[in-house]
Amino acid sequence: MIKRFRRKDSTDRKGRQTDQKNKSMTTLKESLEENIAAFQNIFSKNETLIIRRFQNKYLSAAKCCVLYFDGMVNTEILNENIIQPILSNDLTDKISSINLLEELQYKVIVSNNVKIVTDMDQIVSSAVYGDTIFLLDGYAKALIIESKGWKMRSVDEPESSKVVRGPREGFTESILINLSLVRRKIVNPDLKFKFREIGERTRTKVCICYIEGLALESIFKELEQRLDKIQIDGIIDSGYIQELIGDAVFSPFETVGASERPDVIAAKLLEGRIALFVDGSPFVLTVPFVIAEASQSAEDYYNSYIFASMNRLLRMSAIILAISIPGLFLAVTTYHQEMLPTPLLLSISASRQGVPFPTVVSLVLMLVVFDVLREAGTRMPTPIGQAVNIVGTLVLGQAAVEAKLVSAPVVIVTALTGILTLMNINLIGPIIIMRFFLLFGAAFLGIYGLIFAFILVNIHLVTLRSFGVPYMMNLTSVKNHNGQDVWIRAPWWTMTLRPKIIAAKNLVRQTTKRKKGK
Amino acid sequence: MKRTRMLSLVIMSILNILLLAGCWNYREVDQLSIVAGVAIDKGIHEKYSLSVEIAEISGEKESETKSKTITVEGKTIFDAARNAISFMGKKLYWSHAKVVIVSREVAETGLVDILDWYNRDAETRGDIHILVSKGESAKEILSRKSTTEKVKSFEIDKMMENQKALSKTSPIEIWEITNELAAKGVGAISAAVDLEKSDGEEVPRVLGTAVFKGNKLIGFLDADETKALLFIRNKLDGGILAEDIQMNGIVESVSLEIFKSKTKVQPVVSNEEIKMKVSVETTVAIDEIEGTFNVIEDEGRKKLEKFAEESLKSQMENLIKKVQLEYGVDIFGFGTKLREEKPKAWESVSSEWANVFKDIKVDVNVKVHVKNSAMLSKPLEVGD
Repeated sequence: MIKRFRRKDSTDRKGRQTDQKNKSMTTLKESLEENIAAFQNIFSKNETLIIRRFQNKYLSAAKCCVLYFDGMVNTEILNENIIQPILSNDLTDKISSINLLEELQYKVIVSNNVKIVTDMDQIVSSAVYGDTIFLLDGYAKALIIESKGWKMRSVDEPESSKVVRGPREGFTESILINLSLVRRKIVNPDLKFKFREIGERTRTKVCICYIEGLALESIFKELEQRLDKIQIDGIIDSGYIQELIGDAVFSPFETVGASERPDVIAAKLLEGRIALFVDGSPFVLTVPFVIAEASQSAEDYYNSYIFASMNRLLRMSAIILAISIPGLFLAVTTYHQEMLPTPLLLSISASRQGVPFPTVVSLVLMLVVFDVLREAGTRMPTPIGQAVNIVGTLVLGQAAVEAKLVSAPVVIVTALTGILTLMNINLIGPIIIMRFFLLFGAAFLGIYGLIFAFILVNIHLVTLRSFGVPYMMNLTSVKNHNGQDVWIRAPWWTMTLRPKIIAAKNLVRQTTKRKKGK
Repeated sequence: MKRTRMLSLVIMSILNILLLAGCWNYREVDQLSIVAGVAIDKGIHEKYSLSVEIAEISGEKESETKSKTITVEGKTIFDAARNAISFMGKKLYWSHAKVVIVSREVAETGLVDILDWYNRDAETRGDIHILVSKGESAKEILSRKSTTEKVKSFEIDKMMENQKALSKTSPIEIWEITNELAAKGVGAISAAVDLEKSDGEEVPRVLGTAVFKGNKLIGFLDADETKALLFIRNKLDGGILAEDIQMNGIVESVSLEIFKSKTKVQPVVSNEEIKMKVSVETTVAIDEIEGTFNVIEDEGRKKLEKFAEESLKSQMENLIKKVQLEYGVDIFGFGTKLREEKPKAWESVSSEWANVFKDIKVDVNVKVHVKNSAMLSKPLEVGD
């Protein structure tokens, strides 16, 4: 059904695309004024377009003009390196004026990147991306002078994944800065960058980055194919692409990874994964993505392996607990009271006296309230956020128990589950959905239902694939080097091989000899 | 059309899973009245009278555990248990019950009724203690005030759990007595409980053992006999041996704490005659010396060991004689041992084991090792 929708959509879009092309099909003329008029036509009703005409003092033939968009260019470059040299220098002694445009390019304009172009499309897209267009009277050509100079957030620590130990730089919204951040970490000509544009209207720059000799060609090809199929009008964030190239459309689980940290992306590239940089998004995508990556933290690799393994185990068990604790509590207190120690049963029983709703209802209620608070807290401006937190956690929790709306154990279970969920921030969505699924299983059938629901979740997970790689890869295997980086983080000296399915081209990560001196 | 059929099939199977599967028993905790313990008496109007102790916590901030005892009668035990609804509205919840106290009268007419329901019902557990009340009424035991716990049944349960350090009664759980009733060559026993005066008030005390013939109660053993019984049954994990020791005409007492005890029962068959060899090996420590005898040095210790051995031996022999003469029930499990080790000999006597047991010869050997003398290495010295 989905496929059918897609096909219909794509024909629709093709129609629009041709439409757009017709509009920009005009070519450059020799007359400066005609060219300016042409541009004014293309960018009509766009008042950020600035056209500056000027002429050299000494050479009257040098009638020229720069076109640029206000706010997109670095005016310093424009003034001092382009306009000023042409305007005030005596060009007559330098220039023969036979091929004035080229002479200007070679001898006068001070810029790191200047191109002579005749293709109108290219000129237009460069102009809107912050380059300056230089037009000279009498030439049916234009110069594209690089002068990008918009304001940009600086490289600072990413809010979404902070570390105590490890590099503190995070990606920004500029694709070029992002690429340089990774480039600096892998100083090797095998690191390849392949650009393309996605989005018919936004023309968003997207860069596929991989290490030649490590990344599997089949995965690379598959990725390109999937990107080819995207026909969307705009890409605002890498999240769009993440969803468009993902494998399991109806699953709450992501099959494409995303990270804000250059060190993480560099490490994933070194494992043979392929990264996808999207301009305008500080989140870089990686494929293939397996579920074990969701609970890996950058810090795991910088801390001592013992401590890191402990943290990893905590995080992994937090996933299981976060989805099963409310269900387990419900099953045990409403179906299997014999499983509780007697004093606990007595106190749970006492706290439930006078509570009007069944345990299921109060659990669902409290879990929803927690998610409401979480969601409100994320969007709220920080000063208000604190007030919400206090009202939500203290007042609501305490008052709900005292007003006998819910029982105290339910509040404890909710709080515990909430905190456990936050331990794996990458999986927060799936965990919440799975938790309700397990809770309903337990509500209908007790522990039997809980296990039933858990098995269903597992069946779903083992059917998932990310670019042909099993989603649950290595989760149950300790053979060879498979389990080294899943439930624990093995010491670096033992991790001599890369993950097998992902980097099948070159598995050797370390050539250090093993301890036995083989 | 095909899709509708597929969809209805899926919905049907999901409904079936939800409605037909095992766990139908949804109930909120506050709807249960949690039974802590039960006393079973002969009813006045009906066959049985069930006194159920219900544990509950009340109070908001400073919660307080309380217990209530209600008495219901019924034709059968289960009938009585369900009749509770007409008294209190809630269903009794049995999974957390800790003790069953059976009155002497009921125990004398047979335990099968009680044990059957207790083993058959899904909610009741097999791992709870069974006691027989020495006095007339079992209800009395539960209605007495408790000292350490708020709930009397929980207190009795603690008494049974901690018998390990005392060994003056035989803590028997429902499943054990059920097995012993069914097994050939061993008689069933259970713990006994009685009311005793303490500080002018009658409080329950767990002491001694009830002896059953078949499933009917025929008598009780006192505390010391119980200890001897536990020695022979190899069920003794601890306790105190208070021994009188005679030296140069003076009698003084020494308390020995049992650390480890192992009993081997070996049937010896020779010329159609069956003899049992009971060898006890127990490790003790001196924990109290009432006097100045040096029982720690080699010579004194040897003497102490000998005294202990002899007194233990005579206790056991007396017990065996008493059981053989008075009860004629093999509560020591000699028959089981014989069946395990000499199956052929057992087969020839199994049909008349009760008679054979009565005049079986038992050879008791006791070995006592004194391990240490706790924190002091000498007796206290008394100067002028």
